[in-house]
Amino acid sequence: MNIIGSALEHYYGQEHILRGIDIEIKAGSFTAIIGESGSGKTTLLSILSTLLNPTIGSVQFDGKTISELGNIDTFRRHNIGFVFQFHYLISYLTLRENVALAALDENLINPLLAELGIDSLAKRYSDEVSGGERQRAAIARALINRPKVVFADEPTGNLDSKNALGVYELFKRFSAEGTGFVVASHDKKLAEYADTIIEMEDGIVKSIYQR
Amino acid sequence: MITPLKALRKNRFKTALIFMSMTVSIAAIFLISAISGGVVSMYSAMLKTDGDIIVTQKGIADTFFSDINRSQMGSIAKIEGVKEVSALILGAAPVESLPIVGIYGVSENRFKSYTLTQGLSPKMGEVMLGSKIYETLKHPKSIFISKKKFGVSGVFKSKIGFEDGGVVINLEDGGVLFHKSASIFLITLSDLGKSDSLIKKINTLLPEGEAKTTDSFIDSYNQFKIIKTSSDVIGAMAFLMGILGIVSMMSMVVNDRKGEFGIMRSIGLSSRTIIVKLLSETLIIAVLAFAVAWGVSEGVLELIEHADKFQGYINGEIPFSLLCNVFVVSVTMALLGTLLPAIYAARIDPMSLIQRGGA
Repeated sequence: MNIIGSALEHYYGQEHILRGIDIEIKAGSFTAIIGESGSGKTTLLSILSTLLNPTIGSVQFDGKTISELGNIDTFRRHNIGFVFQFHYLISYLTLRENVALAALDENLINPLLAELGIDSLAKRYSDEVSGGERQRAAIARALINRPKVVFADEPTGNLDSKNALGVYELFKRFSAEGTGFVVASHDKKLAEYADTIIEMEDGIVKSIYQR
Repeated sequence: MITPLKALRKNRFKTALIFMSMTVSIAAIFLISAISGGVVSMYSAMLKTDGDIIVTQKGIADTFFSDINRSQMGSIAKIEGVKEVSALILGAAPVESLPIVGIYGVSENRFKSYTLTQGLSPKMGEVMLGSKIYETLKHPKSIFISKKKFGVSGVFKSKIGFEDGGVVINLEDGGVLFHKSASIFLITLSDLGKSDSLIKKINTLLPEGEAKTTDSFIDSYNQFKIIKTSSDVIGAMAFLMGILGIVSMMSMVVNDRKGEFGIMRSIGLSSRTIIVKLLSETLIIAVLAFAVAWGVSEGVLELIEHADKFQGYINGEIPFSLLCNVFVVSVTMALLGTLLPAIYAARIDPMSLIQRGGA
């Protein structure tokens, strides 16, 4: 799914967060958005993923604006996956139930958990597993409906370097199978895995690098 | 089903508060409805005993104030289609140490309505005691009604709390005590289908009286209307208090769980799904609260019924119809109380939910 953001600007109150961004995310690509805290990465990610409406500008998905997509919840559930810095697993549900909450087809849960190496932890709760395992469960929840693109905001921000590299490897693997990834992070190592690297600073795109 | 139960378990403290708030409200509705219904049904049952038609003084608001001439009983009894006429004086007076007791002056032909457990029906200067008051007064041989002494001729058992906690005397003795001839006539008919024409005849015969079928009398009786209206108002207040309790607690629950709902929105669950999820959680609480409130209410009614203090006059009952009505009220209370917080939760932007807290 091609995503095009045009003339994107966003304000939080008086604060001007995004200052006019034009961006294109190609279908199936692995895009890294890097920059320091406060550069506008999360806001741009939220706008591109339909979670936030830009103050000015528009986003198109395969040439359709958000208003042309129909029910946005349904569109999101079928086409977009999310991974956040804090895993945001629901604490009173097991890892499997967390994935099932998003799943359109529950038959796909066990194979996916096995693929991510957490099938033996399916009945555990998030506070009974390690940080890396929690993030894998969150990735499983993002991938369960075979979305066209997964948005990840600082997905390794809470992980040690070994687990962080494990997450990037997973993204790379699923990206090779056709799922697009848009990952925002201040971790420069992310750039080693991405096809496209977008560097942000003070609400604008400072540079775009494509391999 | 499992997910809402897990959510309730996770938020135990607030779940317990909502549960208690609902239980108290539902029990209040149960109790006020059962007690007022009990009062009405006891008095109605008493009037319906051997009474297809009831005659009172014309235009009187309460049977306690009614005064009709008992010498007319004979004339009414002669009307074709009338099977039997009995007269009652309904009064209340202090008995021994009890400040107020129901006193029933009855014509002799009505004594057969009371099931004696010991002794005989009262002659002049005697009384027959309900089993409840007989126990309360510790098996007296004689009693003082106001300042007049009466011998105890017998004891009867009645399912009607007003009677079982009351005193039955001769109509003549009642007339002396309460300075009236009779409060009401109760008339049984040989053919109920002729009640309208008989009522016309009785009203012609007794211009100072007013005859009605007992059912129509009960439907239009002012005291019952007052009791019913008071009970409805208190019940409605309990219902509103219950809703307010749920709204305030659910608002806190929603605030605590914004992150959770934000995640649900971000993974594509619809607003409706979130609303249904919250509604199903409170519905589970409502069903549990209903069951507990029912049990508690039955227990409280049992205690009240056997408390000497109330002399058996408060005799609440929870019939199946009340059970069904209160169940519907409980479910409605849960749905209405949850709807606003749930809509609020479902409308907040998922991104801002995520930024405000984790799940």
